[in-house]
Amino acid sequence: LPEDLASASMTLARRFSSKATLWCWSPRWPQHAEHVAVEFVHPVIVGKRALPAVAVSDADPITALRTLVEAGDVLLVVATAMTTEVAAVLQRAPAWGIETIWLGSGPRPRFGLADHLLWFDDLGDEAAGNGTFVLAYHVLWELTHVCFEHPGLLAQPIADEECPDGHCLTCSDEGRVAEVVGLNGPFTLVRSAGETEEVDTTLVEPVAPGDLVLVHAGVALSRLDAEQV
Amino acid sequence: MTEDTDFLYPFIEGGEQDAAGLLADLATSAAAKGATSAHLQAVTLADRDAAMTTLAQAIAERFNAGGRLFVFGNGGSATDAAGIVALFRTPPWGRALRARSLVADHAVLTALGNDVGFELVFSRQLIAYAREGDMALGLSTSGNSTNLLNAFAEARRRGLLTLGLAGSDGGQMAASSDVEHCLVVSSSSVHRIQETQTAMAFELWSRVQSLV
Repeated sequence: LPEDLASASMTLARRFSSKATLWCWSPRWPQHAEHVAVEFVHPVIVGKRALPAVAVSDADPITALRTLVEAGDVLLVVATAMTTEVAAVLQRAPAWGIETIWLGSGPRPRFGLADHLLWFDDLGDEAAGNGTFVLAYHVLWELTHVCFEHPGLLAQPIADEECPDGHCLTCSDEGRVAEVVGLNGPFTLVRSAGETEEVDTTLVEPVAPGDLVLVHAGVALSRLDAEQV
Repeated sequence: MTEDTDFLYPFIEGGEQDAAGLLADLATSAAAKGATSAHLQAVTLADRDAAMTTLAQAIAERFNAGGRLFVFGNGGSATDAAGIVALFRTPPWGRALRARSLVADHAVLTALGNDVGFELVFSRQLIAYAREGDMALGLSTSGNSTNLLNAFAEARRRGLLTLGLAGSDGGQMAASSDVEHCLVVSSSSVHRIQETQTAMAFELWSRVQSLV
């Protein structure tokens, strides 16, 4: 966990340096999302910079985040269980072009669903009430500000870390995750890595706005099913 | 820092390259902060053990007699207040108890803040909501928040049980006769104080559950 906190902090500092916003969402404990946001917006230590962090508490978080997030942003999710809703939000992250951090406890979710896991394996839901999560995001904030004291490191390309061998699942020939936006004549408009593009969805018809597909070379090859919970 | 010639001088701050070194330092720092927090929590819980037993009994008595719990704080403490309310009202186990956060309603909070002043946002709500036999729990890391002190004074006038979670040296909350039970976390770090306050509230809730 200390290493995971270090890595997530570096990511946050780099993203903030590139004008990103941190979106915070906790389906069961909205107060945790709000606490994270207020830490970054109104630092407890005088002189630390105010950073854009926003708690999302909409009843329909997918619709809200789809509208609000911009490519390069970061989403922090605080949740102990992999619900259908949490999975649906995280599955869309590559389509929206955002990086994800998941703070939670209990059985670990499958590898790769979130970019960063801040995980308390030995605790259950009590981690949300006994101060454990509070400690985790306090340290996340503290370390992020340490990173700002190293501007040279923050300027390095972000992609290098995500694809250490220059090849990753989300940008190789296995297809990129894309979210259907709407129809445009014979083509379907999708959002992938935060950019809108036209693709051919003949192979996966019918599609509707909000559906997730895997796209390669301008063609949607398959649908991305909702994560089984 | 970002001039075109920076590549010639990789040793200056702006050209720092050792990400692995920084990540290692950050991880060490994270572990140390975790240990500090755990130690403060253990010491504080042990030190306030008898006080929390007394307090849990007082709270349980009020709940059992139909009393309600109002919780409030500012900023991060406002969200911690909401967390305590969630713990009491939608508990992971045990009995759901009547608890409300005085920071939950944006309309009420902004109306009072705008019209009568932010120092009265909690006391004015207690005037409207509180009944004798209820309880008021306020969280502050300094112990000096004016709107909390005003709320405690109003709560006492109305016969509420008044409980404070403070930090540092307890500030004015620890010195005030309006705060019947004030649990102070002796630390100078706002973050470490909040973590232990949340742990104490969890422990209190847990003890109250065995008495209701």
